[in-house]
Amino acid sequence: MIYSDIALDAVIFAVIADLFILRTQMITRGIYWLTYGLIFPFQLLTNWWLTSKQIVQYSPSQIIGRRLAGAPIEDLLFGFSMILLTLSLWEFFLRRSRKTGPEKGA
Amino acid sequence: MNHLEYLAAIAFVSLCALGVNLGFRLRILRRWRELFLTQLAIVVIYLTWDTWAIAHKNWFFDTHQIINVDVLPKVPVEELLFFIVVPLTVILSYQALLKLAGWQQDGESQ
Repeated sequence: MIYSDIALDAVIFAVIADLFILRTQMITRGIYWLTYGLIFPFQLLTNWWLTSKQIVQYSPSQIIGRRLAGAPIEDLLFGFSMILLTLSLWEFFLRRSRKTGPEKGA
Repeated sequence: MNHLEYLAAIAFVSLCALGVNLGFRLRILRRWRELFLTQLAIVVIYLTWDTWAIAHKNWFFDTHQIINVDVLPKVPVEELLFFIVVPLTVILSYQALLKLAGWQQDGESQ
């Protein structure tokens, strides 16, 4: 169940990055959860597309075995980590730009 | 079996991204520097994980449903595109919701 462990670690890493490294505190903001809620059904759709057609397949020994919309539940952790890290980095870079002065022509 | 199956899924996500960007007039490319840095970081982190996971056979791909062009050892180009297009869609959705809700953060101008 290596994928299970890494997927969980990825979520923990994303949360630590958001709260303490990039200090964007996305997970405390309603807009983040709203965005996650909007993306979530699309993640299930994409997961279903990729797994039901067996475009991507998972080694049974690497996952817990429980599935949602065709994909291992570990994919939800992976997806959550990527969505959080993406928006945290995005906010971080936007704020950094604002601090260093308004962009020309923006 | 169709070698374009995985690419078709990516094309679908790309169309969603394009629709959101045009539909909400987000003009995301005004922020191309921040966008590039964010996407670069995500691609590096997740492609590294992906490369490791494929090498350790955590997951594998049906060679009949991908175009069989690798960007890293055994990592199909579709994976790279996935890690570009999906985070882009996430950012566009976030910006669209911000705009929709009128929740403009500090200093963010329309």
